Amino acid sequence: MKALQIVKYGEIKDSLAINEATKPTIQATDVLIEVEAAAINPIDKLMVLGHLQGMLPIEFPSTSAYDVSGTVVEKGDEVSDFEIGDLVYSRVPQEQMGTLAEYVAVTSVAVSKKPGNISFEEAASLPLAGLTALQSLEYAGIKENDKVLIHAGSGGVGSLAIQYAKAKGAYVYTTTSTTNVEWVKELGADRVIDYKTEDYKTIVKDADIVFDTLGEDYTTEAFQVIKQGGKVITVIGALDEETAKMFGMADYKMPEELAKLISAKDATYKYIFMQPNGAQLGEIKALVEDEKIKPVIDKVYPFSESIEAFTHLATGRAKGKIVVKIK
Amino acid sequence: MESPQNLLSYFYRTTKLKAASELLTLLFNDCLFLASKVLFLANSQRHHIRHVKIITTELEELINKIKSSLHLSGEAEEFLYSISKEKTFRKGEVLIRQGQVVKNTFFVIEGCLRSYVTDRNGKEHTLQFAIKNWWISDYIAIHAHELATLTVECLTESKVIQFNAKELDGIHARFPEFEPYQRHNLERHVVSLHKRILNQLQLSAPERYDLFLKQYPAIEQYTHNYHIASYLGITQQSLSRIRVEKAKK
Repeated sequence: MKALQIVKYGEIKDSLAINEATKPTIQATDVLIEVEAAAINPIDKLMVLGHLQGMLPIEFPSTSAYDVSGTVVEKGDEVSDFEIGDLVYSRVPQEQMGTLAEYVAVTSVAVSKKPGNISFEEAASLPLAGLTALQSLEYAGIKENDKVLIHAGSGGVGSLAIQYAKAKGAYVYTTTSTTNVEWVKELGADRVIDYKTEDYKTIVKDADIVFDTLGEDYTTEAFQVIKQGGKVITVIGALDEETAKMFGMADYKMPEELAKLISAKDATYKYIFMQPNGAQLGEIKALVEDEKIKPVIDKVYPFSESIEAFTHLATGRAKGKIVVKIK
Repeated sequence: MESPQNLLSYFYRTTKLKAASELLTLLFNDCLFLASKVLFLANSQRHHIRHVKIITTELEELINKIKSSLHLSGEAEEFLYSISKEKTFRKGEVLIRQGQVVKNTFFVIEGCLRSYVTDRNGKEHTLQFAIKNWWISDYIAIHAHELATLTVECLTESKVIQFNAKELDGIHARFPEFEPYQRHNLERHVVSLHKRILNQLQLSAPERYDLFLKQYPAIEQYTHNYHIASYLGITQQSLSRIRVEKAKK
């Protein structure tokens, strides 16, 4: 089968190639998905550049990407939730990475039926970003009337986080640049802050939750805008000690400045490392079918141009998700 | 050849049909004809035995309804029982799956089902909803002898009478009295299909929505908006607009 593979670490153009690869075989708990569409995420670019080789080492060649939609064509003996012919979507686990291919084997607990009201391309754009948004805001215990600040509202994660937070009845602030203000409003954000002309720190006060998707100064500034006892959830800032332990870094200590800010506000600080989860994709399916969440796609590329899709991703200018149509 | 009495007792032992006594009456009128018929029936029904023993009130009701429009012999009635059974399915269960062989056709007692097709892009288009007293299956597959184009799923927990589609479809060959009944059903079906096509071609979306609500009263409690939008051939956003406009009136 055809697959887009990482052949070495380095520049995108030199390190990716469309190769003939062996069709994956399934374990008893897996389903084999005939891929219709796959989406790429910033993590896929970092993987190619070799920035994650310490944490997530891979062998060469390795097929790229985690997000997928398609049709179940085989299932293992222990799989009871899916049938051959089911239309599904998934964020596949690390050890099964490789959705930019004609087939991918996935453990069935990471799979859900796809929403019926959207296309394969739209469905493929949802899992990684949607699970990141859901797991972050769920960890924060988001509830009705919470004041939530979501950074980078036009991004893949931000655009879904806004919609998820609105579905939960929260009041949503979000930051974006001038050109994106209008369409981010359409996602339902209550107050869209144009970071080029406004300072969000003077607008957002006593927030219950800050969802930090930008890192660096944005992580520390979050403590200026949360209320006493508020929550800062990050997917990019420094690790918290509990998460560090989970990665085997037993003697990790948080940066001192950050620790002081947390204690001064009696705040919760948590680094969310997204976990594949089919049941939560089922929740997202229901929200999509109820029109509470709409996928946001920047561009769909044919498989033959999947390397160009990566160079587009690398510009960091995409509004919503970049999808590759496989079939 | 075995005696009719032996055949009858064999038939009774293997199928435990209530109608054995009715058959007995017929048997004395035309021994040879019926002997062969009973033998055929006994053989053809042996693999249906587990379907036969439960005769539910709902199924009886349906058969009584059929009886009111045609004269049904005891034999035909037993045959109907033998090819049907009452079943309850959970919400979300798939009864017919696109791309697979279609074995059954369903008469709805309770609940709500939907048949739909999934296009190349993975989006669903709803062909039909079925509520109490409606039939649902993939008739393209049954009549053109193809694999299923449609998927039939339960939108709620649903109680149905499930018929073996091939046997039901061919019932008139064995029992000609079904011919007018089936023809009448088919005519009604064609009329409703033509109406659906014409409505789709000439009516505005709000008019189609109004008609839909008349045709499927109270269906909105069972369905997602996208099910209805995909039946009317409009987007979910347009459906929301139509509802808002309607509420203003």
